[in-house]
Amino acid sequence: MKNFKRLTALFLAMLMLVFTVACGNSTTANKGTEETTTSAFDVMSQFNEIGVSYPLTVTDQAGRTVTFEKAPEKIASSYYISTSLLLALGLQDKLVGIEAKANTRNIYKLAAPAIVSLPNMGTAKEFNTEACVAAAPDVVFLPMKLKATADTLESLGIKAVVVNPEDQSLLEECITLVGKITNTAGRADALNNSIETFLADNKANVAGENTPSVYLAGNSSVLSTAGSKMYQDTLLTNAGGKNVASELTDTYWANVSYEQILAWNPDYIVIAADATYSVDDILNDANLAGCNAVKNKNVVKLPNDIEAWDSPVPGSFLGSIYIASVLHPEKVTKDFYETCVTKFYESFYGFTPAK
Amino acid sequence: MFKNINNYRNKIILLSVMWALLLIAVFTWSVLTGQYPLTLKGLLSGDTMSIMVFKRLRLPRAIMGIIGGFGLSISGYVYQMIFKNPLASPDVVGVSSGASAGAAFAIVAVSSLTPVVSISAFAGGIIALVITLLVAYLVPGRNSYTIVLAGIAIHSVAQTILMFLKLAADPEKQLASIEYWIMGSLNGVSKDSLAIPFFVTCAGFIIMTLLYRQILILSISEDEAAALGVNVTILRFTILMIATLIVSSIICVTGLISFIGLIAPHIARLLTKRNDRFTYISSGLAGAIIMTLADIFARSVSSSELPVSIFTSLLGAPLLIILLIKANKKEVS
Repeated sequence: MKNFKRLTALFLAMLMLVFTVACGNSTTANKGTEETTTSAFDVMSQFNEIGVSYPLTVTDQAGRTVTFEKAPEKIASSYYISTSLLLALGLQDKLVGIEAKANTRNIYKLAAPAIVSLPNMGTAKEFNTEACVAAAPDVVFLPMKLKATADTLESLGIKAVVVNPEDQSLLEECITLVGKITNTAGRADALNNSIETFLADNKANVAGENTPSVYLAGNSSVLSTAGSKMYQDTLLTNAGGKNVASELTDTYWANVSYEQILAWNPDYIVIAADATYSVDDILNDANLAGCNAVKNKNVVKLPNDIEAWDSPVPGSFLGSIYIASVLHPEKVTKDFYETCVTKFYESFYGFTPAK
Repeated sequence: MFKNINNYRNKIILLSVMWALLLIAVFTWSVLTGQYPLTLKGLLSGDTMSIMVFKRLRLPRAIMGIIGGFGLSISGYVYQMIFKNPLASPDVVGVSSGASAGAAFAIVAVSSLTPVVSISAFAGGIIALVITLLVAYLVPGRNSYTIVLAGIAIHSVAQTILMFLKLAADPEKQLASIEYWIMGSLNGVSKDSLAIPFFVTCAGFIIMTLLYRQILILSISEDEAAALGVNVTILRFTILMIATLIVSSIICVTGLISFIGLIAPHIARLLTKRNDRFTYISSGLAGAIIMTLADIFARSVSSSELPVSIFTSLLGAPLLIILLIKANKKEVS
C-alpha cells in the first residue's frame, strides 16, 4: 500500500513535470508578454509610504532653489504635463488653478472633471500672474518657458517650481521632484517604477526583432517630424522601431520635404496624437504614394482619447507600448497594450478607460 | 544718339544672353538638388519611384521657383511704377498681411491641410486688396497716395487679426504652422499645386506687358494720362488687381516670401538704367533667379527644410542697403 502511494506520488510528480515542460514549450512565443503582465502590473499597485521631512529645500529643473516649510495644501499648475502628473499623484483635491484651455484635455474630464473649472493660470505664452496671485497657491508648477515668471512669482511671495520633463530621465526626475514637494514620494516612486519596469520589459519583448523604420509625422503637418533630440525619438526607439529622422538634430519639430520622406522610405508612418490631419489624408496623399508605409497601409495615429502619449506625460510609456503593438504585434499584443492602459489609469488616475 | 541706341541694343543682347544662361544654370541646379537620390540612370531605366519624385516633386518645385520669383518681381515692378515709390511691394496694399491672416484663419479655425490654407490665403489677400481699393475709392480727391494710406490702414487691421489668431492658436501645432507659413517655403509644392500660380502668372504677365505703355504713362504723370484720354482710376485699379492676383496666386502656395518683389526691380533698373519693357521683363528674370537660388539653399543647407525667406532676405537686405546708400549719394551730389 505504502509502495502504491509512493508510486502514485512519483507518477503524479512525473506527470506534472511532463505537463510543465510541454506547457513551457507551447507558450515560448508569448513568454515575454506573460512575464511582463505579472511583474509590471504588481509594480503599479505598490505604493510604499515614503516620508518627507520639512522644511524641505529642493532644486527645480531650472536650477533654482526653493524651500518649503510644510507640505503644500494649495497647488497650481500652468503646464498640462505637471497637471497630469499631479493627478497621477492623487492631488486633484489640492489643485486651486490650472493652465488655460483645460477643457480640451480629455484626461481631466476622465480623471477629475472638477478641475476644468478651476481658475485659469494662462498659458506658456501669456501667464496670468494676477490670477495666480489671487488663487494664492502654496506652490505653482511652471514649464521651462516660464522660468522668468517663476522669479516674478517668488518676489510676490508665491513659491514657484520649474519643471522640464523633456526626455525620459528628466520626466522621472520631474516625477520624483513633484512627489517630494507634495509629500507623495511613495506614489511618485511607484509611478517611476511602473514606467521603468514597463519600458524595460517592452524593450526586452522586442529585443532581437527586426527594427522597422518609422517616420513620425508631427501635429502641425505631415512634413514636420521629430529628430533625435526630441522625446518622440525615444518613444520610437523604446517601441523597437528606428526613427528615420534621427539624423536631424533640431530640438523642435523640423520641416522636411516629401522628397526626404520618399528617400527615407519608412516601413511605418506614425501620426502624432494631436495632429490636425488623419490617416486617410496620408493614405490619399499622391506625393507619398510611392512610400512603403503608404503602399502597405502601415499608417497609424497615436490614440488621443485619453492624453497625447507623444508628449512626456507620465503615461507616455503607453505610447511606446502602443507603437510596439503596431510594429511587433506577435510580441506585444493589442490585448496586452489595452490591459496596460486600463491598469495604469485605474491605479494612478482612478478611472477605467473605455476600450 | 544712334550710338546710344546701338549701345543699348548691344546691352539688351548681352543682358538677354546673361539672363538665359543664368536661368538655365539655376534651373538645372535646382532640378539636380534634393533629398531623394535621383540619378539619370534611375530615370532612364524607368525606375517608378525616381520618375515619380522627378515628375511630381522635383520638376514642379524648380518650375515654381522660376514662376514664383518671376511673378513676384514683375508685380513688385508694377507696384513701384504705379505708386511712384521705390519701396512699394504687395504689403503696401495689404495683400501680404491679408493673405497671412487668411492662412492663419484656416489653420486655427478649419484645417492646416495645404489646399485649405492656400484657398483661405488667396481669399484673404484678395479681400484685403478689395477693401483697400474700396476705401481709397471712397476718399475724395483720390490719387496713388490715397491707396498707399488705405493700404497701410488695412495692413494694420490684417496684422491685428493675425495677432488675435496667433493668440488663439494652439502653441504646439497651429502656432508653428502659422509661423512657418509666414516664413514661406517651396517645400509643399507638387504637381497639383503648380497649375494656378502658373496660369495666373502667365496671363497676368501677358496682360501687363500689353498694358505696359499705360503703366508707364501712369508712372510719369496722372494728369498727362488723363489728358491722353486714359481713365486713370479704372486703369490703376485694373493693373493693381492683376498684379495682386499674381502675388496672391503665388503666396497662397508658397507662403510669404519677402524682398524678392522689392529688390528684383531695382537690380533690373540698375542694369538697364531705364524703365522700359525690357527692364520690366529683366526684373522678372532677376527675381526668378534669386528665388530659385534661395530655394536651392533652403533645401540643401541642412537636412531639414529652411524657410526660403531667410535666403531671399539674406540676398536682398544687403543689396537694398547698397541701393539706398547709392541713391542718397546721388541726391547729395
